[in-house]
Parts: sequence; structure tokens; C-alpha cells
Amino acid sequence: MSTYRAPLRDMRFVIEELVGLQDISALPGCAAVTSDLVSAVFGEASKFASQVLAPLNRVGDEQGAQLIEGEVRTPPGFKQAYEQFVAGGWNGLSGEACYGGQGLPNLVAMPVQEMWNSANLAFCLCPMLTSGVMDALTLTGTPEQRATYLPRLTAGEWTGTMNLTEPQAGSDLSAVRTRAVRESGQYRIHGTKIFITWGEHDLARNIVHLVLARTPDAPQGVKGISLFLVPKFLVAADGALGARNDVHCLSLEHKLGIHASPTCVLAYGEHEGAIGYLVGEESRGLEYMFIMMNQARLAVGLEGVALAERAYQQARAYAQTRVQGRAIGQTSEERVAIIRHPDVKRMLASMKAHTEAMRALAYSAAAALDKSRRHPDDGERKRNQALVDFLIPIVKGWCTECGVEVASTGVQVHGGRGYIEDTGAAQLLRDARITTIYEGTTGIQAADLVGRKLARERGATAHALIGEMRSLLPQLAGCANAAVAVAHAALAQAIEDLSAATRWVVDTQSSDPAAVAAVSVPFLRLWGVAAGGWLMARAALIADVRLNADVEPEFYAAKIATARYYAEHILPQSSLLAKIVVGGAQSVLAFSEQQF
Amino acid sequence: MKVLVAVKRVVDPNIKVRIKADGSGVDLANVKMAINPFCEIAVEQAIRMKEAGTVSEIVVVSIGLPQCQETLRTALAMGADRGILVETDVEVQPLAVAKVLKAIIAKENPALVIVGKQAVDDDCNQSGQMLAALLGWPQAAFISKIEVAGDHADITREVDGGLEKLAIKLPAVVTTDLRLNEPRYVTLPNIMKAKKKPIEVIKADTLGIDIAPRLKTLKVEEPPKRGAGVKLADVAELVNKLKNEAKVI
Amino acid sequence: MSILVIAEHDNKELKPGLANTVAAATQLGADVHVLVAGSDCAAVAAAAGKIAGVTKVLIADAPQYAAPLAENMAALVVTLADKYTHILAAASVQGKNFMPRMAALLDVSQISDISAIVSADTFVRPIYAGSVLATVQSQDRIKVITVRITGFDPAGAAAAAAPTEAVAAVADSGLSEFKGNELTKSSRPELIGARVIVSGGRGMGSGENFKLLEALADKLGAAVGASRAAVDSGFVPNDYQVGQTGKIVAPELYIAVGISGAIQHLAGMKDSKVIVAINKDAEAPIFAIANYWLVDDLFKVVPELTSAL
Repeated sequence: MSTYRAPLRDMRFVIEELVGLQDISALPGCAAVTSDLVSAVFGEASKFASQVLAPLNRVGDEQGAQLIEGEVRTPPGFKQAYEQFVAGGWNGLSGEACYGGQGLPNLVAMPVQEMWNSANLAFCLCPMLTSGVMDALTLTGTPEQRATYLPRLTAGEWTGTMNLTEPQAGSDLSAVRTRAVRESGQYRIHGTKIFITWGEHDLARNIVHLVLARTPDAPQGVKGISLFLVPKFLVAADGALGARNDVHCLSLEHKLGIHASPTCVLAYGEHEGAIGYLVGEESRGLEYMFIMMNQARLAVGLEGVALAERAYQQARAYAQTRVQGRAIGQTSEERVAIIRHPDVKRMLASMKAHTEAMRALAYSAAAALDKSRRHPDDGERKRNQALVDFLIPIVKGWCTECGVEVASTGVQVHGGRGYIEDTGAAQLLRDARITTIYEGTTGIQAADLVGRKLARERGATAHALIGEMRSLLPQLAGCANAAVAVAHAALAQAIEDLSAATRWVVDTQSSDPAAVAAVSVPFLRLWGVAAGGWLMARAALIADVRLNADVEPEFYAAKIATARYYAEHILPQSSLLAKIVVGGAQSVLAFSEQQF
Repeated sequence: MKVLVAVKRVVDPNIKVRIKADGSGVDLANVKMAINPFCEIAVEQAIRMKEAGTVSEIVVVSIGLPQCQETLRTALAMGADRGILVETDVEVQPLAVAKVLKAIIAKENPALVIVGKQAVDDDCNQSGQMLAALLGWPQAAFISKIEVAGDHADITREVDGGLEKLAIKLPAVVTTDLRLNEPRYVTLPNIMKAKKKPIEVIKADTLGIDIAPRLKTLKVEEPPKRGAGVKLADVAELVNKLKNEAKVI
Repeated sequence: MSILVIAEHDNKELKPGLANTVAAATQLGADVHVLVAGSDCAAVAAAAGKIAGVTKVLIADAPQYAAPLAENMAALVVTLADKYTHILAAASVQGKNFMPRMAALLDVSQISDISAIVSADTFVRPIYAGSVLATVQSQDRIKVITVRITGFDPAGAAAAAAPTEAVAAVADSGLSEFKGNELTKSSRPELIGARVIVSGGRGMGSGENFKLLEALADKLGAAVGASRAAVDSGFVPNDYQVGQTGKIVAPELYIAVGISGAIQHLAGMKDSKVIVAINKDAEAPIFAIANYWLVDDLFKVVPELTSAL
């Protein structure tokens, strides 16, 4: 495995030049978030990623988490790494200052999380889930719950989990059966939850489970589900740990990837009943989950970016050193590194262009999320909330699907060696494969995009964003750079495709929702491809200005080359995807089940 | 006791440097920079001595471009108290470093100066020894242990044959070797706090010191490459090659 | 004008490297003097006079030079410096210790660790852990130089011994006091100057396992070295370290065992004539500079090799 090096230059480019760190620094509470602070934070985070987390990725994959007499043992080195992670204060990256966090905006936290995800996805899932529980309690917890749990979760002293899925309730949470029985100020929880990431482990002293369950008199379906906090060890008012609660890990799943992340079957209330505390109000559990899920989905989209980056670095290192064959047209006998072969170059260019476009999109969504929460103007907050709501299924769906493809291309660059576990390329593909599934499959994301996000507001946000993309065209047209001209033509076409497909979806959703559903994934993909192309074109424009001023010519020339590749190889997919969206639904629906 | 630590901003030692096309130097554009590893050990040592109660204040100094403030911030985030940047765009060679530090020391009066034994860019290994000379202070280079006892320090140095013990009078200059300590990871809260610690910027030309380089780099080039070797099947083949082809045994 | 070379010794024997440094000095001029500063060091001075190219040996024999403290050594050389165009010492720990101090007292720069001489004022020196060679020109009146001895073949023996001359000692500085040393005892050759070196890395797993290498070294009459990783892991003492900031070696044969090949290690040994690498990781960077390599378990290969020799 090559050594992971955080792509700090590209991260800084996206944050400072493309998305605009100064807009975020101007938000209330963000004055300290200046370029030099960001650089210091990124520098240390990248060191931690390269030196502590990345070296454990292989051993985590090979040895995995193990269940021994009801206790989960993490792979060698994970516990020490987690202790270092906590001692470094990294768990409090974006946690609120009043609970001991640093309160850094998402635009700064996201690149840091990308580094950690690149270095060791399985490890990172633990703090990611903790962060989800922190968000939930911040939004809906009682003052006592917040005071007791948030400082410890923020510090990373305790970790958190999300308990949604049950054997019969996967994507359809209305089928949740876990019961919560009221009992003087608390509840007794009984039921089985599956796929609980980091549901049991030896990294921290306590684990705080958030559990979806039904109260006895609750209505059927989604409306009757409430959210409960169930600590592994009961907690006294002063935070001291008490008795072991009645929640136990029955087994660990044997998975395709992320072996070091224990995926647990948790049994609640096999004996006297697990003691749980209501979070927020009864029957509003799913609503709370969806608030949190937005952020979690953004985080998973980022995992796609992170794994793509890691796969790209690995493939690039291999291609630079693997000598095989002669260069085309070469007369000497000299054998060359495979990076000289045009098809290998094409694969690396595809990996690089996808990764950079995905990063730009994910960070843009992070900035919108920051503005939706912190902007002093209510209108701006609402506008950005709508934007981030719209972007989240695209970031989640597109970046994870591309992440898998990029990781797969990474294996391909290695040839036969890629299919062997030695190089680490195969692990990245296996690890990436979950990202299109958990926190809502790509299909669920697409359904969310066309249903909740698009149709509900008749495409208002989508069309506003298309308008913003269109407004870039005159600037592109005015640029003398030939590569930018290529990007201009490709983007102009993509905007037409996007606009037509979006209109079709908005118009068809009410009359024929099945037709829209049948092509919703290609539609989501179209949005990813086009939005990525828009951001890459903007990047090219910025790079052109810098190049003309002779600033860092190497970096900016590469940025323009990447934007041009994107415009010629990736963006043209928009026409194809739009054609599928507008004309492809009936061939899907026409299949009878017997024909499969 | 006040300690002064000097830190240098260098190319991240994990990065393979590239030579400029015209051979005039190493290409530093768009290269990740970091605190010199031996300087990091020096900062760590000062912090450990402060944590142990021997040291009351740690001043870190860097000399060079405005970006050296980042290096100072790293030292401040590790636990140093305040920073001084002597700003210049001149290539500052070891003798000039020693002269600048001497001027700063005249104002700061530290009882101990800790510097890295060498910078991993120019690999000179000179500045600390030169500084001690200019100050007329004792020196202990390449130390792996230091214990301050009253007006002197007991030192263990790494030497070619093993270890050497010295007692040096204070004030003194010491230079760090690898085994002195293992620097800590900087914590996020300390990065945030470091932002509020003071950094004084002094323009080098206000010090009235000649810092012009004495050594002129005429060209840089890559060392000759070794010829490609061969992978052997077993020990028998290796012995045969060493005896009959390489003729070294 | 003449060239001055400072000898390194333990008052009984010269340390390896003086012959190489003298060889470098003779490229700069014909009149090469060697300074032997020590205590009861006449035997050392006599040995220094027998190196080809040495025209005079200066002896500073006084108790304060029993241990070569930087403060005393620098002060002594400064009193002699004005007679010389160049002052050289090997880039050993001792040379690196006092030479910069002496240069600063003379208000001249030092040219560290030169690996080749272009002209009387122009030298080649490795930078960036040896990944770059810089050609530098000195503008100073006296060139103070430390010499990478692997860059210069040692001078041979002289037909006749050079004359000696006593020089006045300088009073003890009183700034620092030598309190003793803990030298690694070994019956094997020293790393510096060894013809064959067997080195171990993190892959050795423990200090105990270095016995495998010692057995092999004894068969070959070799010195034993180590990578920084092995020293940092506490397998062997610090003076075993070969690398950018440890010892720079260039033996006829260097056998790297369980060493992956970080650039900082390669910096210390890549000028070896023949490099053999033994590592079970087929991707280890050390193979890129090895003449011969075996991808195999060192715990199997090393005993096999020892018994095959």
C-alpha cells in the first residue's frame, strides 16, 4: 500500500478559492476560522491521518473486530489510536463549545474528516456515529440529557450509535417492532436491532445507543415510533457509571469490507428490559432521525470522496513504479512505467477528475450547511437550507457511486496485482462498496431527491441552482484559455440536459410517480455529473486567472487539465443520462416480474 | 528559567524533492512544508522541562519568510509560550542564523538555548555550535539527555562509539539528537489556543547584521542512479553471485 | 599557503577517516599539515606522520585535550588558522561538533560534509538526505570543511614519516567538563571504514534477533549496523544507526536485512559498492537500490546464508 498523503493543496483550493472560506469566516462565531488556522488544523490532522490511522487500515482489514464472550475486541492498535484521537481533542472538532467542542464549521471539519476516512474508514465510523448522537441530543435532548451526555460524547470519552434497522425493517422503518414500555420516568426497551455500527467495542468506557422503538399505545406505521437513549452502562446524575444495562451484542456480521468496524446484532431487554430514556417527544422519533440523517448522509457522501482519493493515490503510485511494456511509438528497447501508457493515463485522469469534482461538490454542500445554520439573515438561512437539503441526496448518491467506480478503476490500474489483496487496492473497493448502501441506498437517495426534495417545491431550488450554473456561461465564454472553452461548450450542453430532465421529473411526478421512480437514479446521477462539471469549470476559470499571474503554475495547470478531461469525458454523459430519464422509464415498468 | 528554541521551516521530510529544470536549486513551489524534525524535538524538550517545573517560559524563534509564522504556530500549539519571527527573504545560512539568534538572545537573556542538530533540507549541522561560539557559551551537540542542576546541566551526547557524558555551565547551547524524546501530537484545542499566543515580527534588516550568504550554490543535480539489480531465487544463488560476479566475498 | 587537517583519535590510535581526509586535502594543495591535539598522544602523532601526503604533524599535547571538548578544540585551531587556506576534518560526530564552532570564531562559514572537490573554493555536498547533490562555492578567506570520508579513497602510507612540531596549548575553557563515556563494546570492526556491513531494521523484531546478524557478520568479518527504526525500537544502541543523521558508510558489501529502505536510511549507505537486501515485502523500496535481493523470510535466509559461507 502506498502511503496516504492528504491532498492538502486541493482541499485548500476548494475551500479558499472555489467555495469561499471568507464567507464562512464572516458568519457569527466563525471569526477565528482564518486561512492560517485552517492550515494549522489541516497540517496536524493530516499528520494524524498518515501516521496513526493509515498504518492500521491493513491490520484492521485482515484481523477485523472479534466477538469474544459477548465483548467485542477491536484489531490491534485501534484502542491506542482511539485514545490518541481523543487525547488530541479531535472528537470535538465541530462539537459545540459549551460542551467542550471547538465548534468549527462544516467547511473546515469536512476536509479533516475526509483525511481520516481516506486513512481508515472503519475507524472513522465510530466518531461519525458519535457525532450523529451529539447532533440528535443537541436538537432534541432535555437539558439534563445534554448536560450529562454531551460533554462526554464531545470529548470522545463515550461513543454513540444509531439503532434503526431490524430484521424486518430495513429501508422501511415503519416496520420497526422494538417495544418501549413506560415505567416511572423511564422506559424498558425490548427488541433486536441489527447492523449497528460500532454497537459494542472496547475503545471507550460507555456507549450511548439511540434506539427507535414503539410505545405500547402508539399508532401503527411511521407515526408511532419514538426515539430512546439507552446507555450501555447506566449513568448517575453526576456522570458516574453504574450498572450494566440490558443491551448485549449477540453477534457480529461477516462483511465484504470495513472489517475493523464491528457491525453488531444488539439484543435489548433479553432479561429485565433495557432502561431507556425518551429523547424529545413521543412518536416523533423518525422525524428526529431524518434531521440527523441529513448530516450523516453528507458524511457518507464524503466517504465516497475519501476512498476515491485514497484509491487514486494508490493507483498513481503503482502506475509510476510498475514497469511494463514499451511506450507507443518508441523505438528503443527500454521498458517504461505504465503511467506512460495512454489507457492507464486515461484511468488515472478519470479517477482524479471524479475525485476533485466530488470533493468540490461535497465541500460546497458543507458550506451551504454552515450558512443554513449560522447566517444572520433568515432568508439566507432558508435559502441555504433548501440548497443543502437538495444537494444532500446528490452528494450521498453520486459521490458514493463514483467512489465505488473509482476504487474499481484503481484495481484495474493494478492489473492482476489489484485483484490480489497485497496492494491494498482491493480493500478500498471492498470498503467502498458499503457506502452506496448504508444511510439510505442510492435508490433511497434518488427517491428522496425526486420526491421530498424536488416535487414538493416544484423544483424551485433545482431551477435556481440551474440558473446559477447558467450564469457562469458568459464568464466561461469570455475566457481565452482553450481548455476553458471546451468546458464552456460541455457545460452549456449539460445545463440544457439537466434543465430538460428536471422539468420532465417535476411535470411527471404527480401524474406518473412510478415512471419517475424508474429513472430516479439516472436522474440523480445526471445532477451529480452536471454539478461536478459546473464546479470544475469554475475551478478552471480561477486556475486560468492564477496561471496568468504565474502563481503556482504546476498546480493550476493540472487543475485546468483535469477540468478539461472532465468536460470531454465525464460531462458529456449528461446527454445520455437526460435521454434515459426522459425516455427510459417505460422500458423498466414494462417488465413483468415473470420476465426476470 | 527561560528557554529559547529556534525552529526552521523545511520541506516535509516525507516528500521527495524535485530539482528545478535549470538546475539552480530545489523546486519549493507548491511543496508541503513542515517544522524541521530536530527542531520539533527541541520544542518538545523545552515543553517537557517546563512541565517538570525546570523551565518557566519558552520563546521560539524562526528566521525567514512570513510563512515561518506557521512553523512558530506549530511550536506554540505544542506548548511554547510566545514566538519571534525574524523576517527576511534572504537565504539564511548557518553563520547568519547564529548571528541573528545572538542578537535576539541579547534581548531575551535565556538560560538555555535548544536547537535541532541539523535541518533536513541543507543537512548542515552547524547553527547551534556557531551560536555557542559567538556567545562564548558552552555547547553540547547531539544530546540524548539533559538534566538541569543549579548553574549547570548534566548532558548525555550521542557520539560515534556510543554515549558521552558532559557537565556544562549555564547559560549554554544544546542541539538535539533523535533519541532525546518523541514529540507529541499537537492537540486540536491547543491549535486553537496557539492562535491567541503572541508572535513578534522583527525585520531582519533592523538588526544591523550582515546575513548575506557566504556559500553560493552553483548548481544542484541528482546523484547518479544505481544500476538495476536482480531478484535472486535463494541463498545458494546469492552466495554464487557474491563470490563469482561481484567478487566481494 | 597550506592545508590543515584535524586528526581524530583516542590518544592511542587514530580513528578511521584521517587518511581519507588527507586524500581530500591533497586535492587542494601540496602542503598538508595534520593537527593532533590530545594528551599523551605522541604515538598517534607518529602514526599520522606516516600517511602519504602529510608534510608536517602539529602536536598539541596537554591534559585539557584528553577528551576533544568542542570549546577547547575550537579555541586551539583558531590560534593556528591564519596560516592556512583550508581547514579540514572528517564529518564524524567529533568533526561536526567542534568545526562549526571554530568556523564561527573565525567569522567564516563551514562547508559541511563534502563528497567531492571541484576546485579550491568549489565543492560538492549532498543535501536533502543525499537525494540532491549541490555544488557550492565559498566566498570566505579560510575554507572550513568537513569531509564525507566515503567520497575519498584513503591516502596510502608515506615513504618517510613527516616531521612533527609542537604547538602551544590554549588554557582549558572551563565551560564544560568531560564526565566519561559509555562506548559500545564490540570485537567486530567499527562501522566507519568497515569493508562489509550487515545491517538490521525493524523487521528483526527484537534486539535478541540481532544475534542472527552478528553470527553472519562474524563469518564475513563485518561490522553490524541498523536502521533508525531498529534503534528507535531499542533493539540496538544509537551508534549502530546508519542514515542521514547517523553514520554514512560505503563498504564493499552492505547486507540490509529486514530494512524497508526509508530515504533517510538510504542516505547513509547508498554509495556502498554492492548492496544485498533481504526482505519479505516484495514492495520494499530498498530493492530499488540493491544489486541483489531475496524476497523471503529473514529468519530462514540469514541462518542459511551464515552456514553457506
